Amino acid sequence: MRKSLFALFLSAVFLALGSAPRAEASFDPEAFAGPKIQDLYLVIIRDPDAQLLALDRGKVDILGDLHRPVDVDALSKNPAVDLSLASGFHGFFLGFNVRTFPWNSLELRRSAWQALPRERMVRDLFAGYAEPLATFLPPVSPYFEPDVTAYPHDPEAARKRLAGAGWTWGSDGVLVSPDGRKIPPQKLLCPTASTAPTTAEIAVRMAEALTAIGIPVQAEPMDFSTMISRLDERDFQMYVLAWQMTRDPDSLYAFYSSKMDIRGGYNMPGISDPALDEVLDRLRFAPDETAARAAASEAQKLLSDLVPVVPVYSRYTISAVSKQWKGTLVTDRVTADNTWSLLAMEPASGPMRPLYLVQADEPRALNPFTSSSAYDWQVLGLIYDSLIAVDPYTLETIPWLAESWTIGTEAGPAGPRTVLTFRLREGVEWHDGKPLTAADAAFTYETLKKNAVPRYFDNVDNIDTVETPDDRTLKVTMKNVSFWHLHRVGGISILPRHVIEKVNDWRSWLPASEKHPSDPGLTGIVGTGPFVFREYRPGEYVRLSGNERFWLGRKR
Amino acid sequence: MSGYWARRTGSALLVLGLVLVLNFVLFRMMPGDPVASIIDPNFSPEAKARLSEVYGLDRPLPVQFLRYVRSTLTFDFGISFLTGRPVVEELKSRLPNTVMLLGTSLVLSSLIGTWLGMKAALKRGSLLEKCVLWSGALSFSFPSFFVQLVLLMAFAAALPLFPLRGTLSVPPPAGGLPLLLDYLWHMALPVFSLVLLGFGGWALYVRNLMVKILGEDFILLARARGLPERNIILGHAFRTLLPPLLTIFLLSLPGIVSGAVITETVFSLHGVGRFLLEAVTGHDYPAAGASFFLLALLTVSCNLLSDLLYGLTDPRVRMERGGGR
Amino acid sequence: MKGLLKRWSFWCLLVLAALALFGTRLFDALPEAEVAAPFSKPLWLDRSLPPTMDLELSGGHPAAELDWVFGAPSRFSLRVETALPAPSRFVEWTIPGGKTFRLTPLNRGVELDGRDIAFKRSLGLPPFGDASSALFPERGTYRIGLSGEGEWEGSVKIRLEGGRWGLLGTDQRGRDIAALFVAGIRVSLLVGIFATLLATFLGTSLGLAAGYRGGWTDAVIMRAVDLLLSIPLLPILMALAALWGKGLWQLILILSVFSWMGTARTVRALTLTLRDAQYIEDLRGLGAPAGYILRRHLLPETLPVLLATMTLGVPGAILSEAGLSFLGLSDPRVISWGRMLHEAQSFGAFTAGAWWMLLPPGLGIALLCLVFLDLGKYLEERVDPRLRGGNVL
Repeated sequence: MRKSLFALFLSAVFLALGSAPRAEASFDPEAFAGPKIQDLYLVIIRDPDAQLLALDRGKVDILGDLHRPVDVDALSKNPAVDLSLASGFHGFFLGFNVRTFPWNSLELRRSAWQALPRERMVRDLFAGYAEPLATFLPPVSPYFEPDVTAYPHDPEAARKRLAGAGWTWGSDGVLVSPDGRKIPPQKLLCPTASTAPTTAEIAVRMAEALTAIGIPVQAEPMDFSTMISRLDERDFQMYVLAWQMTRDPDSLYAFYSSKMDIRGGYNMPGISDPALDEVLDRLRFAPDETAARAAASEAQKLLSDLVPVVPVYSRYTISAVSKQWKGTLVTDRVTADNTWSLLAMEPASGPMRPLYLVQADEPRALNPFTSSSAYDWQVLGLIYDSLIAVDPYTLETIPWLAESWTIGTEAGPAGPRTVLTFRLREGVEWHDGKPLTAADAAFTYETLKKNAVPRYFDNVDNIDTVETPDDRTLKVTMKNVSFWHLHRVGGISILPRHVIEKVNDWRSWLPASEKHPSDPGLTGIVGTGPFVFREYRPGEYVRLSGNERFWLGRKR
Repeated sequence: MSGYWARRTGSALLVLGLVLVLNFVLFRMMPGDPVASIIDPNFSPEAKARLSEVYGLDRPLPVQFLRYVRSTLTFDFGISFLTGRPVVEELKSRLPNTVMLLGTSLVLSSLIGTWLGMKAALKRGSLLEKCVLWSGALSFSFPSFFVQLVLLMAFAAALPLFPLRGTLSVPPPAGGLPLLLDYLWHMALPVFSLVLLGFGGWALYVRNLMVKILGEDFILLARARGLPERNIILGHAFRTLLPPLLTIFLLSLPGIVSGAVITETVFSLHGVGRFLLEAVTGHDYPAAGASFFLLALLTVSCNLLSDLLYGLTDPRVRMERGGGR
Repeated sequence: MKGLLKRWSFWCLLVLAALALFGTRLFDALPEAEVAAPFSKPLWLDRSLPPTMDLELSGGHPAAELDWVFGAPSRFSLRVETALPAPSRFVEWTIPGGKTFRLTPLNRGVELDGRDIAFKRSLGLPPFGDASSALFPERGTYRIGLSGEGEWEGSVKIRLEGGRWGLLGTDQRGRDIAALFVAGIRVSLLVGIFATLLATFLGTSLGLAAGYRGGWTDAVIMRAVDLLLSIPLLPILMALAALWGKGLWQLILILSVFSWMGTARTVRALTLTLRDAQYIEDLRGLGAPAGYILRRHLLPETLPVLLATMTLGVPGAILSEAGLSFLGLSDPRVISWGRMLHEAQSFGAFTAGAWWMLLPPGLGIALLCLVFLDLGKYLEERVDPRLRGGNVL
């Protein structure tokens, strides 16, 4: 018990120390300007060995996500490369079917938490390159609540807890509940080792750890989609699953509200606690930041008491940058290949030359409507802008295309509703020279809403009306009140009206292969972002060029 | 005779039809669908339902089947789930690489193999024959991915003579000739590995066949008549060799497509083989169905073509087939 | 038979079969057990790597000195077991040159490992790489001891893993590669032999049925042959492996379902010619039932050819299994050579330069195939004398 607290203490201290930079100087986005790089190549290399060799030979300059410990160790010995570590919002959880015996017992769930040797699993399976997670939101979340119930690894204490709650052990070592029911053999659903090797291994180890305190568990690997179907049909006892949370804590609603215990919903455990539901409702529909913070805190405290799932670990993202470049911005929350780096990077010595970045898989359709993979957005995120952006140190919201905004509440026919009023920057131009106006943003939102584009469904579903009183003002009226509407709406990439209105079928639109009507150097992908899309050669690379007319830091 | 061909073509079409149905059933039977496996708190159940609608997965199975049949027969193949682009586009961008890879290696290994096999058959008991026999056995026994990995490790990683991946350098050189040379440099190692793995089998087969042919009566007769050896070999023997050789060439075509899957994975080539692998493992029904169908089409056509060739050139076959069925 | 004893492949097969049956007894641990640090090199490879060492500090021996003449160990781990915690006292590590690191206070049950990022940060090290390389920067004298004075009950156990193990080193999970290799023989032999047996059985029965009965039976079976031949093997194996889950026996079943066609065609052709032979006609005239004719007369005629085809079919099955495993589509709980190559490639044996992981399984597959090819050749020669002579295998 003590040593885990000690470890937690150490990591907390050093996480705090490690994030010292943000305490000294607040981040000033206006200190950046248009990219110094003129040519940016996103080189598609899928094989990790090839990625490493390319970095070694100087064929690429940035490798954004190393996930094999062997690679990290190899690069740590390479003097020509800088490594950096970022914590993220990835979370890996052990889930239970809380609706039935035995997992409807709270004390059993808490004991299970105590029986898991997180540090050892992280050490053996990730060679230490992951963060043991003991909370429902990761520590980097701006809404992280540290004062929650902890269950450090201690199988003895787990046994004592169970004994204290009236559980006994049979002669075969299997637990018997206070009312005399023996725990039947439990199946722990997990993906197969071919899809997710470490996950399958973790499942096996967790099964062993739980069996050691008397819960007979066996890992059952299966095809991922089958597993999800089984979870959807509520035909399971235990499972392991990982997902990406976001900087907004309202994802807790999606995971733990009893209203989300439906087909296609993410409350797979089936936790249903009235107090929790009430707090999560307050969180989801919080009218302002204070209420949001309070609700988030309470939610995390409640969750740590109710233990619907057990958090296990959170992945670090490790990136490598060649020392031949300078100006990289690295924090403990973003990797080296973030937008700010790309704006500021230049060769450490010598004349400007193209920058080569590794892209671990094909960007696919490059269609901002339908693209959902991270690889698409690694490209599109450099080309399109949204109204707001994220501070790389604190993860707070900072102005981007919108230089300011107000959040108001007005009375509406169905109750109070949030009104977001954005003031757009002046002098922003699309890559083909046309000026950006509020009409572009309005048209984007309306198009997404009208076509019920799946990827943006939740973002625009709650929009009631969009108005543009003038060229630089955008007024969005929602259907209800929620603090998170700002992020949901402000985070949508703004698309050019003069291009989008000519698209017949958003589903099959392939802008990367269309020629721009007036500018031969452009395609159908036209944005306002720091980089301009030039070419996509499937299987090989994506070529972007620096936007010389980028609006950031320009003197008017 | 035409009755036989009509029946042959008919059965080929029947087979294609069965493949079509099998494709559909197989992939629908495969557990899970692409929408269900989305785990993302920002994707609510409503959004998922809408996505299902967009993909056409919410229609009843018979409707999906009819759409599938129609799109396959018009070579439309729909939109890939994984990439969001039309399957035809995906195939178009990958086919040239695969064809280049497989075509070149097949042609080279058959040419080299045939030449070596013939030489070995002519010089029985020599060192050359021993080498040919061993190389045949070795090239069959060594797993292709192993040889390719070793080559990659030796000539791309340890000695940086060849590129590690892809078909072109980044950025590719400008101009026709430098571009071509860059492409050839990238394809050199994969093609070399396939030829290395393939020539042995050809050599062995040709050697065995040649040995049989040289033992035939008509060769004996030609020798007795005093015809020059060169004429006998290149004229009579080779002519007899050609039909079965062409048949095997055609029949091996579909088989090496499987080899493409492994080669393209090891060398990170943008080809159809790897597309197939990803489509199958990623539940990408349109893409996987399209690839399977095209492969079946290729196999059936090759079988048909080889039967045709055999039928035209070997009168014994024609008679037997015409009568015995 | 004498000819068989003279062939190298026969003896090779015997050795391999013996290893398959009894080989795992040569090793102490199960093949799946973790025995050492991942990617350990074989013992004979790198002499500068240290051997694995265990140190213990206790109340009676609160300090130890090491004269270090090797490179850095690959792993450093430490465990404190103490009856009475003494949090004001620390375990200290002194490197040549005098610098001292404070590793941990003497709390009950502390477990430290050079891989833990928290530990690395506490030492002021960057979070990458193993802490042991910073703790062992050079050759010289190292000292480990306890700070402070006074009596103390308990023990501090330190383990320094050398990074060398066994005949062939370890894989990415620390498993003994030599043990995995031996275990893989069993799988390859099982898959090869059983898949081919099953395929031969299927092919023979269907071929006999088609050839003997003719008519409808023949047509249906030949259509099935055509259909299955039109589906390329690897893709359908991929699809079925994904569909059916990945057991070893499922794989054998799938492989046999797609390999019986050649045998069926050959047997059918043979049956067709034999069916019209005079003595068969006579037997039929005498009223012999079809089953009798098939069993007593036709089947024995096909046996020699079958034996040869079967032996030549085994390498095909082994290679198919290896290919599937390499693409990652096989059961990861089943240790096969193809699987070893897949794991080697995806977990970075390439980057680690671990050629001892890549060569043995590949060479093993090749050897097994060569053995069966040679045996098959021998059997083929016994059937068809024309191919004899000039044959070296």
